[in-house]
Amino acid sequence: MSNKTAIIVRREYLERVKKKSFIITTILMPVLMLVLMCLPALLMNVNISDARNIGVIDNSGIIAGGLKDTDLAHYTRVDIEPDSMYSRDEYDGFLIITRDIIENPAGVTLYTRDAGSLELESSLSDNIANIIENERLRQLDKADVRDVLDSVRADVSMTTFRLTDGDASSGTSSAISYAIGLIMSVLLYMFLLMYGQMVMTSIIEEKNNRVLELVVTSVKPTQLMMGKIIGVGLVAVTQLALWAVIMLTLSASVIPLFFSPEIAAEITAYNNGSLDPATSSISIEGIQALSVIGNPLYIAGILGYLLLFLVGGFLLYSAMYAAIGSSVDNIQDGSQLQSFVIIPLIVGFIVSTTIAANPSSSLATWLSMIPFTSPMIMMTRIPFGIPTWEIILSLVILYVSFVGVVWFAAKVYRVGIFMHGKKPTVKQLIQWARYK
Amino acid sequence: MNNILEVQNVSKHFTGHTALDNVSLSVPQGSIYGLLGPNGAGKTTLIRIINHITAPDEGMVMFDGHRLVEADVASIGYLPEERGLYKKMKVGEQAVFFAMLKGMSRREATVSLKEWFEKFEILDWWNKKVEELSKGMAQKIQFIVTVLHRPKLLIFDEPFSGFDPINANLLKEEILSLHRDGATVIFSTHNMASVEALCDEITLINNSHNILTGNVNEIRNRIGGNRTAFVVGGDTALLSQRLNELGLSMTSEKLDNGDTRLLIKRGDAVSMRSIIDLVNSTADIRMIEPAMPSMEEIFIETVKTYNSTHNINE
Repeated sequence: MSNKTAIIVRREYLERVKKKSFIITTILMPVLMLVLMCLPALLMNVNISDARNIGVIDNSGIIAGGLKDTDLAHYTRVDIEPDSMYSRDEYDGFLIITRDIIENPAGVTLYTRDAGSLELESSLSDNIANIIENERLRQLDKADVRDVLDSVRADVSMTTFRLTDGDASSGTSSAISYAIGLIMSVLLYMFLLMYGQMVMTSIIEEKNNRVLELVVTSVKPTQLMMGKIIGVGLVAVTQLALWAVIMLTLSASVIPLFFSPEIAAEITAYNNGSLDPATSSISIEGIQALSVIGNPLYIAGILGYLLLFLVGGFLLYSAMYAAIGSSVDNIQDGSQLQSFVIIPLIVGFIVSTTIAANPSSSLATWLSMIPFTSPMIMMTRIPFGIPTWEIILSLVILYVSFVGVVWFAAKVYRVGIFMHGKKPTVKQLIQWARYK
Repeated sequence: MNNILEVQNVSKHFTGHTALDNVSLSVPQGSIYGLLGPNGAGKTTLIRIINHITAPDEGMVMFDGHRLVEADVASIGYLPEERGLYKKMKVGEQAVFFAMLKGMSRREATVSLKEWFEKFEILDWWNKKVEELSKGMAQKIQFIVTVLHRPKLLIFDEPFSGFDPINANLLKEEILSLHRDGATVIFSTHNMASVEALCDEITLINNSHNILTGNVNEIRNRIGGNRTAFVVGGDTALLSQRLNELGLSMTSEKLDNGDTRLLIKRGDAVSMRSIIDLVNSTADIRMIEPAMPSMEEIFIETVKTYNSTHNINE
């Protein structure tokens, strides 16, 4: 890289990194993402709703005694006329059971003062159904059937391990790989689109306010273009690196603080492969998720690949964006030509959602070799564990294509930046590339 | 005399049109050179080729005795006609950026820039953003970054447009001072008065061709050396009749004080003395002077003649 390109890179980089908006999004995004990822786990441990006081008007006399108090509600049997329940505001709601509830289980009515809760309703239905079933069994004189049923019930939950050469004990689950793959794909899509368009708009701006005319008096147009691409690319890498540092720090230090000691112990046990799912306090999927988020090594590995595909994808796409930006006078004119860039991006992104369900299909393999879709498709597949040679081949194709695309883009760029007025056709762009 | 710049048989084609067709010109070391021509004639393309921004399809450019290479751009200062600055960047920071692109070190650039800013009395702009400046202010900055690295060759494309007369004059003085210090200056402009006042040599480019080139005074002499202006009192009807008999053309113009200004074009067959005798015998001569055509007239005449002989619609 020549000295002049370095000066351009420096300017492009500093101009963006010093912006307040960059600093704010860079700090806030990972915090937001971790919160979103951990929210379900946190909610498992935190009880956010107060238990309600429910009065039970039980005309059958069977149900009220069997209702168990939960975190959501306390049940109290009351003997009042239904009409008077409006005035009894020591209760948050009333449950009315009909006399023939055993024969007609539909005869349950719940009145609540504030908005009903889905959780309360479903736990209440389960509870009542259980009581009715038991009562029916008792009437048939088959009360012991319940014990038999309880003793044969089986809860299956799978612990899966990947057969890899190295760390055979690292537990995986398809659900986690699916989630991580999709997050990576979204992240790449976002980065490529956002930073690619940043290159385009900044070129259009330079062209419009004619600062470009002054810059090219001392720098070759190609150097200016490369300087801009590299400068903006470094901003993207900086942002990703800062996110990685923030997320790794959070996942290594802050997150374990939220776990109770027994969950922490279960995660350790899970990572050693010695966890007995039957005794764990939360579901095996929850443990898997927490173990992945709390494992900096795994996250670092994924981020490493993300960096390689991000840089390759960015170079490829931003070169195309640069060619488009140079050839038009305003962003509106750019939007039509932009579809050449956006369509493959969107295809890659949408297909990656299907690919995540079946990462080893031949469609997946092919699309992860085509440079325009490979960054997103590959990052979706990598969390599932795919052969290293595939990843390397895909990267090589991506970087080689970048060289070709940049060559073409530079040819268009050096002509396009001086063209004002009519929006060019694709045919014209190709003609420009042929100029000496 | 050495030529700092020689353009040799340069052609440049774009789809559907030819910007330059076999153009040659030589700019002598230490001269002030005018590059003239109507809009769209190919001047800017030629300047871009000289600045190594685009490459010619045919021909070549010699700079200071060798074939122009990219490194020579550091010895050229070019102020384009259409020019801008990064709006969000601070003035000083931006000027340093441009200076560094020309190969100056940060320190060298800062010292030199402060001197120029002081000279232009704009030192307090250093930390302002460009978007806070007026157009004229921004142009001062652009001028400074163009000449800061003390280039051997300075190229100005319409440098005075957008400046008020005071600042335009300040700028002109600075350019002349750089010229006295040894820089060769090329002006590309439509302002013919400034060409007459400043330029030693010119090249007129029209429709991608070099149609007129040479020393300004020689050109004016060659094209208009046989014209003489008289201011006379009295009736000119008789004079007009006599001139017609001799086959000479004359234009006349009534002046406010009742006198008449005559412009007489003399063919080679008629001597100057006989014309003076003729005028003297028919009217009261108040003043006689050689009537050199202005560069503006030469520009218009030459382009018109060229276009009509080549069947070009303007």
